Amino acid sequence: MSEKLRDENKSHSDDHVVGKPFPRCDAKDKAFGNTKYADDYFLPGMLYGKVLRSEYAAAEILSIDPKKAEKLSGVRAVMTAKDIPHNETITRFGQTHTVGGFEGLYRILADKKVRFMGEGVALVAADTQAIADEAVKLIQVNYKPLAGVFDPIEALKPEAYKVGEETSNLVCYYKVRQGNIKEGFASSDVIVENTYRVPAQDHAYIEPEAGLAWIDDDGVVTIQVCTQVIEHFREIAEVLGLPYNKVRVKGTWIGGGFGGKEDITVETYLALLTWKTKKPVKLVYSREESIICHGKRHPYVMKYKTGATRDGKLMALEAKLLSDAGAYVYLSPWVLLYSTVGAAGPYKIPHIKIDARTVLTNNTFSSAFRGFGVPQVCFAYESQMDELAGRLNLSPLELRRRNYLKKGDATATGYVLEHYAAFPETAEKALAALGEKSKSKNPAVKIGQGIGSSMTSYGRMVFLHDTSRSYVGMEMDGGVTVRCGVQDLGGGQASSLTQIAAEVLGVSMDDVRVYVADTALTPIAGTTTATRQLYMSGNATSMAAQEVRKRLLEKAGEILQSKPEGLELRNRKVRMKEDPERSVSLKNVVKACASAGIPLFHIAQFNAPSRELVDFKKGQGQVFPDFAFGTHAAEVAVDVETGKIGVLKLVACFDVGKAINPQAVEGQLEGGTIQGMGYALLEDVILEKGMTRTPSFSEYLIPTALDVADVRCILLESEDGIGPFGAKGVGEPSLVSAAPALVNAVKDAVGTRIFDLPLTPEKILNAQKKR
Amino acid sequence: MNEMEYARPKSLKEMDRIVGAAKRPVKFIAGGTNVIPDIRAGALSSKLLVDLSGLKELNFVKEEKNEIAIGALTTISNIAASRVIREKAPLLFYAAGQLGSPLTRNRATIGGNLAYASPAADTAPPLLALEAVVHTRRRLGRERKIPIDRFFLGPNKTRLAKDEIITKITFSKPKDPSKGSYLKLGLRNAMTISVLSIAVLLETNGNVCRKARIALGAVAPTPMRAYRIEKKFAGRAIDRKNIEESSLLIAEEISPISDIRASAEYRKRVTSVLFQRAIQEASRGGKP
Amino acid sequence: MKTYSIHLLLNGNPVRVDVAAQETLLDTLRNKLWATEVKNGCGKGDCGCCAVLLDGKAVNSCLTLAVQADGKDVTTLKGLGNEENPHPLQESFIQNGAIQCGFCTPGMIISAKSLLDENPKPSREQIREAISGNLCRCTGYKKIIEAISDAAPKGQLSD
Repeated sequence: MSEKLRDENKSHSDDHVVGKPFPRCDAKDKAFGNTKYADDYFLPGMLYGKVLRSEYAAAEILSIDPKKAEKLSGVRAVMTAKDIPHNETITRFGQTHTVGGFEGLYRILADKKVRFMGEGVALVAADTQAIADEAVKLIQVNYKPLAGVFDPIEALKPEAYKVGEETSNLVCYYKVRQGNIKEGFASSDVIVENTYRVPAQDHAYIEPEAGLAWIDDDGVVTIQVCTQVIEHFREIAEVLGLPYNKVRVKGTWIGGGFGGKEDITVETYLALLTWKTKKPVKLVYSREESIICHGKRHPYVMKYKTGATRDGKLMALEAKLLSDAGAYVYLSPWVLLYSTVGAAGPYKIPHIKIDARTVLTNNTFSSAFRGFGVPQVCFAYESQMDELAGRLNLSPLELRRRNYLKKGDATATGYVLEHYAAFPETAEKALAALGEKSKSKNPAVKIGQGIGSSMTSYGRMVFLHDTSRSYVGMEMDGGVTVRCGVQDLGGGQASSLTQIAAEVLGVSMDDVRVYVADTALTPIAGTTTATRQLYMSGNATSMAAQEVRKRLLEKAGEILQSKPEGLELRNRKVRMKEDPERSVSLKNVVKACASAGIPLFHIAQFNAPSRELVDFKKGQGQVFPDFAFGTHAAEVAVDVETGKIGVLKLVACFDVGKAINPQAVEGQLEGGTIQGMGYALLEDVILEKGMTRTPSFSEYLIPTALDVADVRCILLESEDGIGPFGAKGVGEPSLVSAAPALVNAVKDAVGTRIFDLPLTPEKILNAQKKR
Repeated sequence: MNEMEYARPKSLKEMDRIVGAAKRPVKFIAGGTNVIPDIRAGALSSKLLVDLSGLKELNFVKEEKNEIAIGALTTISNIAASRVIREKAPLLFYAAGQLGSPLTRNRATIGGNLAYASPAADTAPPLLALEAVVHTRRRLGRERKIPIDRFFLGPNKTRLAKDEIITKITFSKPKDPSKGSYLKLGLRNAMTISVLSIAVLLETNGNVCRKARIALGAVAPTPMRAYRIEKKFAGRAIDRKNIEESSLLIAEEISPISDIRASAEYRKRVTSVLFQRAIQEASRGGKP
Repeated sequence: MKTYSIHLLLNGNPVRVDVAAQETLLDTLRNKLWATEVKNGCGKGDCGCCAVLLDGKAVNSCLTLAVQADGKDVTTLKGLGNEENPHPLQESFIQNGAIQCGFCTPGMIISAKSLLDENPKPSREQIREAISGNLCRCTGYKKIIEAISDAAPKGQLSD
């Protein structure tokens, strides 16, 4: 289907919409300050919510006394676990289909025990924010502090403090076995063994979590919230004990998500407070609350042992992965699966042994973050590649060249790549774009260059039977309306749909109006996660638009007395390909269809091709539908006397399949690279016995305009993606290999390798000292 | 609850009256870039905020024959934009340009930066190197002058009494303002709290140093002068040996803490490094 | 609770509003004057998305008390331009793809305006410096810098 469109496109002149860097449909409103975000909505009589949060990382709750808070003038509700109809649900995190897989405990408010510092213990709604803030201070909670466990290695031990109610802190354990690992190392001439550590990373979206909830005139509990997943309405309904169709989630334009607004954040708190008070309630997190309480990128300890022959052929990989799931399961099993499947990187390795575990601790829970377990292992495997290259006297590029996977090769989990893998192409181009190494004018400053390659999935795991739906309809004046449950977190998810619909229906982007993210009124498109929206809702929208186009061309064929195949639809006109003077306006075709009773709207459901659940015992099978292949290259200047690292050049070279909007794709690559740069050089959620030591943007540092280099983007278009027009998703891939490129560049500059992120000046200096 | 009151006197006399009649403890506010976060953190409930920003007479940069005077209410961005400061006291010019962000610099004042007395206060090391004098005023016109190296008592603690405000800061015009250097090391290139900062001002005669003033920030409970190191340079040549020896000694002069930004050990090491660079830059005549 | 009556010009329109002593200009703008285009990202001056022009100077509205804005001129993003009459910066941000999630945009454009008012032909380095107090998590800053550079009056651009 998308192949057909590709062919059609090639035969046309350039009136195309897809492939052009048109401004996004939401850009104007954002530039003029008209866009409303979750905290920009107000309702008369609105109350203000506040969450009381645990001051202990591990403690028993002996009693909670809300009386003083309840008596405070202006307080309308105080709720604790006992006031919640279903305070605990078993949730299949991250799934849209009820097929197998992982379930985890989702608990709204802590009940008898708290598991992390910042866990919600009680809720307040009051007439003003100031009163709500005061009221939470008056709730008397009697805690009995417990030991807690904060190190994932400790947490695995049988005698460790039990974080949850189970007898073990281990959440799950995966294995990949391929070939014979002993044989693999026996046939290796060089073996490199290292332990890599990565910290928790905060999404640091500039918009903190926020929402407004009310009960509408029909008694539907409505939550308007910045969320990547409007489908949480079902869980919210279960918590309240309501039928699903009595809860509605309206997603707002999101001020950044990156996976941090993928789990439920404020929704259930809001739903409970509005349900209790019968009044609208607003809840907004402070920045400190956001950093302390919401899920983080999983910290990992990764032991890698890689063996290669002296001519640079990888023979064996043994990897032990341990991730810190934090206090609750959330998406940890999925993140771990991504890491496990991705642990070998984009390389052919005949003998593989991977053991991966994720364990509960009393740290803030870990969950989804752009890359979803792959940035962690990419740091490890790309560092290993450079280490091996050094030992083998090969350039980093050459070692990779000898081992990159190609179309037709099998990955570590035995899946045979069905599409073009842009290696070594992206690595060669990225490195070439760096140019000659800059010369340092200062003897204390050393310059280095490095690359990092990755193979990152887009689209959800294939056994999840992913679907997406979209409605496309014609207006009587020839305009187009798209309705799709897509959640736009700033990556242009909504705008892509207008661009696709405009392309298929021969109109301009301005003629298309898109309505998104409303569980009551827009067809469910699935989560804005897993770099799946362009692929899934893009395809669904394309399918729906094509059905409408088919009907239009049939009618136009009648009018112009031509077979539909002989017509083209462009610039709001249907023309005969062989005689462009014979044409009819789109508006007139629409009217003709309306007269004839032909429906000019269609809801399409795109079903991602699905496979069997992967065999978890040996870790073999297809897990992902496709991958984006790319390489980052970096040049750094390291001051060896202070350890400070300056980023001089950054390049991101990716096969994007087809750039639906080149400007938007560049935006993703530039932003992802810098977020990966932050991960490499600056960002560290420092926890001490569960207490967040970096609760604000004064302590948790993300790159400013003075810290970054301009990212040079090189887009390759193989058109071999499975998204609309052969596109691939790059939202997450754009981040994954950025950190390793920087780490490898630093090694090139100063000769020492750092094995744990972030690369602080102090670590650089300490590593120099050891030499 | 966090109910506060507010007053904005238009003159010093009016300020005296307000402070004298105050039924609540007084908290002075100017730019607010430190005070407002404290209010948000709940540290200042129920105080009377007395806003000094109405005292226009305290907002100036004046060059006299032998000295420069800066009103306490002068914003950091005005200091960074002042030709007088750039030419006559470049140390302070460079420090001002690296304080906070362009947005906070438009509100933060030099008086506020000193009164808040963070051990990492950006304007403190240059002012210490310039041997500035802090002029203050208490109620009913009682004025005094506090040499800046006696001004700070501890983290966020100064000699200021509860009803005392800074009115201006003065310092003698350096004989050779170009023989100065200001270096700040932070974890990020903007909006960053100093891991360490150093200001050096020299008076030289050829290659011989007649007088050295060396001040450091973020490596002790207060911004400080490195007196012992200064003595090592007085009357001596600024040569490699002297610089190397001093760079080892300076680590012993300071008492940094370990915090989330850096360990004490790291701060000591980079102090030696930055000290060497600052002395070399200062003796060469500062930044190009 | 004691309140203070303040007068200010909001995007050229005179307004009067009652505020508490410790109320920030940010809170007043968003909650009493409905200027929700001014965003709250951190509440303590670390992110810049609350930036407004106060008597022509770009400041964090979260670090300014509402009472301190009494008698002053406050300009927000909406005061710079609108769809009928866009400011060159707004146009440039749109055309250059400098807006993704858009949450940093209001503060970013305010800082950019402040820069161009003072320095109509800034170098790229000067642009970086001017927006160094505005955090962006989506774009990596490159298209923002290009947009500001583009919005500068056409002519020689130093680098």
